[in-house]
This record gives sequence, structure tokens and C-alpha cells, in this order.
Amino acid sequence: MTAQLSVQADADAEAAGAVAAVVSSLPVSLKPADAAADLVAIAGSTGWTGRAGAAIRHGAKGVVVVSPQAEDAVALAAVAKENGAAVVLDQQWAGNPVLAETQKDVRDLLAGSVAEAVLVDSVAYAAAGSDATALLTEHLAAILKCGIEVSGWKSVQRTPHGYVVAGRLSNGAPLSLHGILTSSEPATAKVAILTASGRADVVLPDPSAAWPAQVRTVTADGAKTLPSLYETAHRHAWTRLRDQLLSGIPGSDLEHFAALTATVRQLTD
Amino acid sequence: MSSQSQAAPAVLGVGILGAGPVTQAIHLPSLSRLQDILEVRHIMDVDPAVAESVANRVGAAFSTSLDELLADPSVDVVAICSPHQFHAAQVIAACRAGKKAVLCEKPFAMSGDEAASISAVSAETRVPIIVGAMHTFDPGWLAAEAAWGDLPEQVHTIRSSIVLPLNPRFEDFASEIVGRTPMPARDNTDPEVIKALLTGGVMGLAIHDLPLVRRFTSDFAAVEVLHAEIVKPFGYVISLRAGHVTIELRAAMNSTWEPSWVLEAIGDDTSLSIDFTPSYVHAGSAIARIMTSRTTTVLGPFGHNGYEGEWRKLAEVARGIGTAPSADTLIHDLEFALAIAEAATARVDDQATTRQEATV
Repeated sequence: MTAQLSVQADADAEAAGAVAAVVSSLPVSLKPADAAADLVAIAGSTGWTGRAGAAIRHGAKGVVVVSPQAEDAVALAAVAKENGAAVVLDQQWAGNPVLAETQKDVRDLLAGSVAEAVLVDSVAYAAAGSDATALLTEHLAAILKCGIEVSGWKSVQRTPHGYVVAGRLSNGAPLSLHGILTSSEPATAKVAILTASGRADVVLPDPSAAWPAQVRTVTADGAKTLPSLYETAHRHAWTRLRDQLLSGIPGSDLEHFAALTATVRQLTD
Repeated sequence: MSSQSQAAPAVLGVGILGAGPVTQAIHLPSLSRLQDILEVRHIMDVDPAVAESVANRVGAAFSTSLDELLADPSVDVVAICSPHQFHAAQVIAACRAGKKAVLCEKPFAMSGDEAASISAVSAETRVPIIVGAMHTFDPGWLAAEAAWGDLPEQVHTIRSSIVLPLNPRFEDFASEIVGRTPMPARDNTDPEVIKALLTGGVMGLAIHDLPLVRRFTSDFAAVEVLHAEIVKPFGYVISLRAGHVTIELRAAMNSTWEPSWVLEAIGDDTSLSIDFTPSYVHAGSAIARIMTSRTTTVLGPFGHNGYEGEWRKLAEVARGIGTAPSADTLIHDLEFALAIAEAATARVDDQATTRQEATV
């Protein structure tokens, strides 16, 4: 039996990442700790790369960053590598288990639809008064995690109520991302990939509860809904961190985050 | 209480100008559900074979002449379903012919000047005009309008998202079409073709929702198109702003079997999402959802759609028991659509210039 890993979270990470609930849902793998834990959860607000690096230098074997904002993580990646530590990003939509590399049916469905897409239209909602750049960061992360490669990014408009971003797929089809700040909708990201003969839709839920993501495709033969996974993005982040530490195989979250940060900066500068 | 029995109102005679697929697959099936109040009595089409075939379905007279239809004394109300460029002249002629009411398919004119001329003639002749913006007559929409409270004051974002199969799929469920014209081949990389597709998309498809969009857009005259491009084989992505309201228009028509037609109006605390049924088939009304952070109110579905709703309204106004939309409303709806179409096509030139500069 593998030894339990102890977990400590700062207050902001606990509030945003439901860390206590996750730890209690992994009672064999994880246990709570007050200090000097094996694993540390930190909030992804400004300066998170520095805080994560400090935690690793103080002995943490792994770090989960909840809702990381766009930030240069090169130095953090070096610290993690030097100390043999793992860093996992808990992104509310990109981290949904339905988008994991192991979900072959989902990956194949998305790849096939994107290759034939005539339009990708995506909408993300966050509460009124939220930070639109934080929403854009989570939104872009979800798009990239869906395997949608985009060029020609352009900020169409930014308002106090959200943003509109345009881009182009590798086959030349248009892509539109629309971020909307409203308290009338749950924090949800919807990705519609329209093709010449049908569509694929991914609906990624708010991870504050274990609402499952929805993946559905429409082809000439009919409609198909893929199996639901009642696991939050938060819990999936911790199982990924555990698995990386047990296997010794590092993840690629920070590597992918560099591309995300570059795009966010391009669209917000 | 009166001792006199109330006689049923006389059935109104309908004359239809233009007997293409919209008349065959939308209006005649709608009117077949309203035989207690409306009866088709005259069909006009420039193709005599189509006019005769369609008229024979409903036992109506037929002709190839506008004047002949307008001179038919059995015709009380006129529906104008001809190509867009004929609408204005035919609306004016129907008003001058002294008919009781006119239903004109959208758009009812192709310029502000035409709209003003129609308005003047309608005022002079006192013939009420209804534009066939069917979603504005959909019982789901009307129920939402009665229930949404202060939503229009707080809306900051509007989305119209339309995904439809090409028209023949639903036309063939609704009727047996004669005289269908095949879609012409076109080069979707030609800027002039792109402009025409955008204009056609706005004036032929988005225009179904633009009167509804304008309901939430007090600064509609200040429309600014920020981004516009086409979707293959037919559709559009148009981003615009009207005052402080962000408006996103999306459409894709392809060979899918699953239609989706959603209009969303979103404020800080409340939003409306309304799912419309596809045109051509009588699949009941839209379903409207008014959402807050704690509640979702569902309105509908009701038993008929907006096309049937517009005919019911036309019968009411022809009898003088209902009020037609004001001329200002119709003109402003049209000006809003024309401004978007014009600005969207202008973006094609702007975007082409930007691309050329980027490659220099």
C-alpha cells in the first residue's frame, strides 16, 4: 500500500479549489496537514509562480495551482525540475476529466470535428463583476485543451461585460470566443464545433460541484452523447498530481501554460 | 346581456403575390390551420405554371399580374411574398388598392427611402401593414416579453445563433414544392461574393431576429460592426456594438438534420434564452427561459408558431380589433438591419486592406 501524501492549502486555494472536499474524496491517497505537507495548494492569483517555487524549495513534492493567471512560469518549471517536484494546474474547464488525454473517444471526436470544422463558436460565462482577463485565460485554456489550433488571434472587443476574440483554424475556418460576465448563468464554457454536415459540442461545467461535462456529436447518422464523468476538475488535478508522483513521469502543464500566457498577453496588451 | 346572437365574423379573403417555396411551404400550411378566419382566394406568380399549380391546391384564382390580383374584389388582405426588390412597390400598390391590410415578408423595403414612402402611403390610405418578422409574433416570445420585467434595461449582451439545414429539407416536410430554383454556384473567395453573402445573410436570415435584438438596444442607430466574415457554405460571424450593447450574430446553414435557433439577451442578473422552432414545419412555438442566479422560468411551448401568429394578427388588424406595429417600429427595424448589412460588407474591404498591408 502506498503511503498517504499530506496536503496543505492556503486560504484562497481552499476557497477556490475546494481542497478539503477533494482530499476527503481521496482518503487512501491524501490526508490533510496543517504545515510541512508533501503537497501544497496555492491560489493562482498574481505572483503564483513565485509562491509555487518557494513551496517547492521548502520541501513540497508537488503543487496544485488553482485557477492560475497568465504569468511566466519558466523559472518555476526550472525549480520544479531541479527539485524533482511536480506542478499541476487546476483550471476549471481545461482540467475537466472529460478532456484528459486518456479519454480517447472524446479526443478522437474532437480531432475529427476540428479537422472538418466550418466554424468554432465558443461562449464562456463568469459572474458579473469578475475579472474578464481571468475568464479569457480559463476560456483559452479550454480551447487549447480541446486540441483546437488557432492562428491570427484578434481581440474584436473588450467591454466591462466581457470580450469577443476572433481567430482562424488551420483549415481556414473562423473561430469566435465570447466571454460574458453575468450572474444569471453558471460558470460554464461551451464549445460548438460546426462542420459541413453536423456538429460537436462540449459543455464544461463549473467545478464547484460534480456536474459532468457534456460531449455530444451530430452526424448524418444521428446524435451521440459520450459517457458522463462525475468528477470535478479540482479532484482530477489532484489525481493527476498523485499519479505523476507515483509514476515519476512529469506532466506538461507548465509547458502548455507558456503558450497560453503568450496568447493572453497578445490579446490583452 | 344582449339578446342578439353574435354572428361569426366573415372570413377574410387572402391574395398572395409570389408563389415560391415560402408561400407553398409556410404560408399555405399556416392558412390551412386558420380556415375559420382566412381563405386564400387569389395567387399571383410571374410563372403561370407555378401560379396555377399553387392556386389549384387551395381552390383559388390565379394570375401573373399584380393589377389583376389587386382588382379581385374577393381579396381583402394581401400578402407580399415576392423577391425583396419588389416589396416596396407592391406594398404601396396594395395600400392604394384599398385592401384591409397588407402582410409583407421581411424585409419590407431595401432602403430607408422606400420605407418612408411606404409609411407615408400607409398613413394616407390608413391601410395597416404587418411585416412578416415571424419571431415577433411567436407566442413563446410574446410570453417572454410579458414576463421579463426590467430585463431590457439591464441587457448588455445579445447573441443570435442559428444553425439550420438548407431550406429544401424542411420545405419537403411541409409541402410538395413546384418551381424550386437551384442555388447558383459561386466563388466564396471573391470579395464581391462575400459581400453579397453577408448582405443576404443579414437581410435574409439575421433579419428574423433583428427586430427582437432591437427590443434590447435603445441605441440601435449607433450600430458599429467590428468584425464580419462568412461561414461556408452559407452563414456569417458578425460582431457589432450598438451603444453599450454587444451583439453577436452567428449562422451556419449546412447539411445537418438538427436545427438550432437560439436568441439570448443577457444582463448582469437576468438573462433570456429563447429556442425557436425551425421555419416551414409547424412544430409549435418557441420555448423561452428567463434565468436568474436562483431561478429559471420556462415559458411555452405553445401550440402555434410565429407564422401562424402573424396571420392571426393580420386578421385582427384587418377587422380593426388589433393594432399593427407602428410605422416607426417597422422603419427602425429596417434601418437597423440595413445599417448592419452595410457596415458588415464594409468590413470585408477593411479586412482585405488589413491583410494586404500585413503581407507588404
